Amino acid sequence: MNGFIAAGIIGISLGAQYALLALGFTLMFGILGVINFAHGAFYVVGGYFTYAAVSWLGLPFPAAVIVAVLLAGALGYVFELVVLEPVIQDYLATLMLTLGFHLILTTAILVIFGPESPHFEFPVSGAIRGEGFYIPYANLIVLAISALAIGAIYLIMHRTDFGRALRALADDRAVAAAQGIHPRRLFPLAFAVATVLAALTGALVTPMLALAPNLGESVLTTSFMIVILGGLGSIGGATIAAFVVGIVEAYSSVYLGGSQGALALFIIVLVILVVRPRGLFGSEFVGH
Amino acid sequence: MGAFVARIGRAELACIVLSVLAFSVPFLTHDRLFYSISNQIMIAVIAAFSVFIMLRMNLISFAVPAFMAIGGYAAAIAARNGLTDVFALMAIAFAFPALVALPLGALVLRLRGVYFVLVTYILSEILQLFLFETPGLTGGSNGIAGIPAATFFGISLGRYEYVLLTTAGILLLATVITAATTRYYGQQFSAIEENEVLAQSLGLVVWRYKVIGFVIAGGVAGLGGYALVTMLLTAHPSSFSSFSGVSYITYAIVGGRTSILGPVVGSTILVWASNLFSSQAQYSQGLFGVLIVFVIFAAKGGIVGTAEYWLKRWLRKRSDPGAGDDLAPVGRSKDAA
Amino acid sequence: MRNKYYLAFPVAAAIAVLSLSVASPARAADCELKMGVMGPLSGGAAAWGDAMRLGAEFAAAEANQKGGLKIGADTCHVTVLPYDSKYTVEGAAAGGNYFASQGVNFIIGPVGSPEATGVKPVAERNGQITFNSAYAKDAIGPQWPLAFHQVVGPGTWASPVVAEAKKHFDIKSVVVVAPNDQGGTDIASVDADAYRAQGIEASEEYYQRGTTNFAPIVARMLSKNPDVIDTASSPPADAATMAKQLRQAGFTGPLARLGGPGTAQILNAVGGMKNLGNFYWAEIVPIDDPKVKSLWDDYKKVMGKAAPNNSLFATSVAASRLVLKAISKAGTQKDVNAVRDALRSLPVVDPNLGKGAWTGKETYGIAQEMGFPVGMGMIKDGKNLGVRAIDVTTK
Repeated sequence: MNGFIAAGIIGISLGAQYALLALGFTLMFGILGVINFAHGAFYVVGGYFTYAAVSWLGLPFPAAVIVAVLLAGALGYVFELVVLEPVIQDYLATLMLTLGFHLILTTAILVIFGPESPHFEFPVSGAIRGEGFYIPYANLIVLAISALAIGAIYLIMHRTDFGRALRALADDRAVAAAQGIHPRRLFPLAFAVATVLAALTGALVTPMLALAPNLGESVLTTSFMIVILGGLGSIGGATIAAFVVGIVEAYSSVYLGGSQGALALFIIVLVILVVRPRGLFGSEFVGH
Repeated sequence: MGAFVARIGRAELACIVLSVLAFSVPFLTHDRLFYSISNQIMIAVIAAFSVFIMLRMNLISFAVPAFMAIGGYAAAIAARNGLTDVFALMAIAFAFPALVALPLGALVLRLRGVYFVLVTYILSEILQLFLFETPGLTGGSNGIAGIPAATFFGISLGRYEYVLLTTAGILLLATVITAATTRYYGQQFSAIEENEVLAQSLGLVVWRYKVIGFVIAGGVAGLGGYALVTMLLTAHPSSFSSFSGVSYITYAIVGGRTSILGPVVGSTILVWASNLFSSQAQYSQGLFGVLIVFVIFAAKGGIVGTAEYWLKRWLRKRSDPGAGDDLAPVGRSKDAA
Repeated sequence: MRNKYYLAFPVAAAIAVLSLSVASPARAADCELKMGVMGPLSGGAAAWGDAMRLGAEFAAAEANQKGGLKIGADTCHVTVLPYDSKYTVEGAAAGGNYFASQGVNFIIGPVGSPEATGVKPVAERNGQITFNSAYAKDAIGPQWPLAFHQVVGPGTWASPVVAEAKKHFDIKSVVVVAPNDQGGTDIASVDADAYRAQGIEASEEYYQRGTTNFAPIVARMLSKNPDVIDTASSPPADAATMAKQLRQAGFTGPLARLGGPGTAQILNAVGGMKNLGNFYWAEIVPIDDPKVKSLWDDYKKVMGKAAPNNSLFATSVAASRLVLKAISKAGTQKDVNAVRDALRSLPVVDPNLGKGAWTGKETYGIAQEMGFPVGMGMIKDGKNLGVRAIDVTTK
């Protein structure tokens, strides 16, 4: 029985990480219809910028995280404004441009920091220990920050003018523009927010796990899977899907092993999609 | 003659001519690098054709490496068990993935476009795991090495020159199939691409054409997988990674999704560039990224689309210097709907 | 529409300049010897590819410092050409052909098993000597007479390392964990066999490539109650995460790494020997040997920057030096068979790695493996017991 509970706790921790990770991707893909292939690269960038702020600038960890994600956000803002904005309506061109940016960012990290993992630790160590289970404090912090971030984004998207304007733009750009909403001002900002979220996840999670230049790809796969499973257009759906994926992954890996566990996870996701083609909570008819 | 060209299509004819010309490479040079790059380009073109067929219906398929693997491994297993006739192997390489694509497509093509994209990505991952879990059949993580060379009416096709000719033959077959499919179903595919819901309401059984496209795209990808396995004489899981699917999609989009010449042009330029960049050590991926960004930035409709646009403008201006800029902009804007 | 062309020109210029730099002609010299180095220079295994590349470049710089390499009547400048084979079969095959077009007959590398699989038939066809570091069961063989092996395979060193570890740690059962690709299975299965041959209960765990959070895998391994957990050939970043999470989960037993290089990186990521506690690992060279250590210092002196932490660097240097010596001894860089014979005839001796022998006859059927002593490192209760040398020349 201990193993069963322990696996569940691991699943929830995983789910919290995935929820934070997928949040930025949900914003871009689920709501604005933009496939951001550079999402994983921003995750890695968040980790490395924080590492640089801590080791080269000597900043304390929380300050380093803030500096790092703001820098990453600025990078995302500029990229969207200069490179993506002219083709933002063409989802294929956007896909290609963000893919190119992913390759450039990853290579830059590789060249600047080298291929080896640096020493990068989460400032808080230790765990709550109980009968046959443990919850690292770091995981609890990530859980808390995930909840805050998800709540904040939900409020922004549904209760502020900015969020309403974004959703209007996603629905019908021409009409929204005619009503006085400026896409050129809002989209780069939205992209920057998504970038900040990806970088924040990287900044928090990579010190717990490992930091290396090539982590972006698997992060992208997971984000993609969660957003689709949750259903496009739904922040709540993506969050729930993140926990579903985390818990399924934890149980299947613990009981079937890493390789068969991954196979089981993918097949379960496939089956769910075949049974519910709109994803678990898919609602709005976004994009194509 | 004009009617014949019009029936087949100018771009399609150009592609067929190019793949016939590919047969001449072994006779023109003995340079190893040229062989290697030509071989890689030809395989990339076949894979990009598979992407192209689905792109004609506005669907991105990440499953190309999975179908390549099914075709390549099926042929490798057949060869290992004694069947080496090159025509039989090509047939197997086309048929197996096509057969797998049929029930898969029936299930998966009910999903809307974006969901389909993700599901195809998962298919690639599932296939890698399947290869790993079946060492008895597929060699597992080691793959199948030392595949016997194919035979052409009894002649062994082991020499490098013959490998090239084999690949050229596979390319020709893939080109003809792709051209025929996209021409024959051109109207239906375009209708689905433009507005699926509208097409459905006008009586088009959208789902049926999607499945047809998916099955043929699977078969074409299988041919590409066989060509890859022939070039390396090894069927190895690392040749069919899900990220390689991204490369093939890139070749098709950068080349231009509006014409069958697109995959050809995109593959040629990007594979050549990738080889060039690999000698630049750790910068190789970054340089490739720069190239993609540059090309898409400068030519949104892909290279062929942009070239066609400028060609039409130039021809128009020649016949009527006063003509205005009234041609539609390059590339397709997908408005939310 | 101004945006459309705004960036295009500087980017185009950049690409043009880069293309020119690639196409630039060979440097004018007495004569030139081109040595190729192949490995994954991007992606997850970049640390190994990088180490391979820097090792070859160092050996070349050494030779050039002496005025060049004497080949027959000429003294030739040694140039190293790198190629990113991306850890795939076709990447390495393309690399072999690329090198052929550049007139490169000698390739240091490639690194990984898929790459070795891809390059060997191409190199035989092209007439190129390769010197790979793959741990595959068929890394070299009599059907590829031009293929050499830079490192001693786990089939040879796993048993003596396990025997030594048993003396210091109480080991009755072990879980060997590796990724589910050829780089994982080739070594983990051999390790498990070596443990079993010594009476230790061994099971293998394979995880999905791309996993970043190993908490579920850790829980699964711990449920088997092993005495030791061996990370085999898991990439260093993965092994470092597993080590962190194992200690966090309360596993106090020894960790092990009977796989490729990367321990220095693991130590770095985990934060030192004290955090790791009890650990034993195989090093491809005995890195505590002062002569071996001085290689890293020499690199810094000659090249002006720090050498990579990865010990594949050392065998890459040794292999490159042997190849250069063989070319000089054969008196030619065109007759590859003559160079191969010269290479086989050379004693396996290196100023830093000491004395070894051509091994591999029993394991692969051909004695073309550069068999220098390997290292076995141990950390007991946070204290460094050093890396001792293990002689493998008897096999």
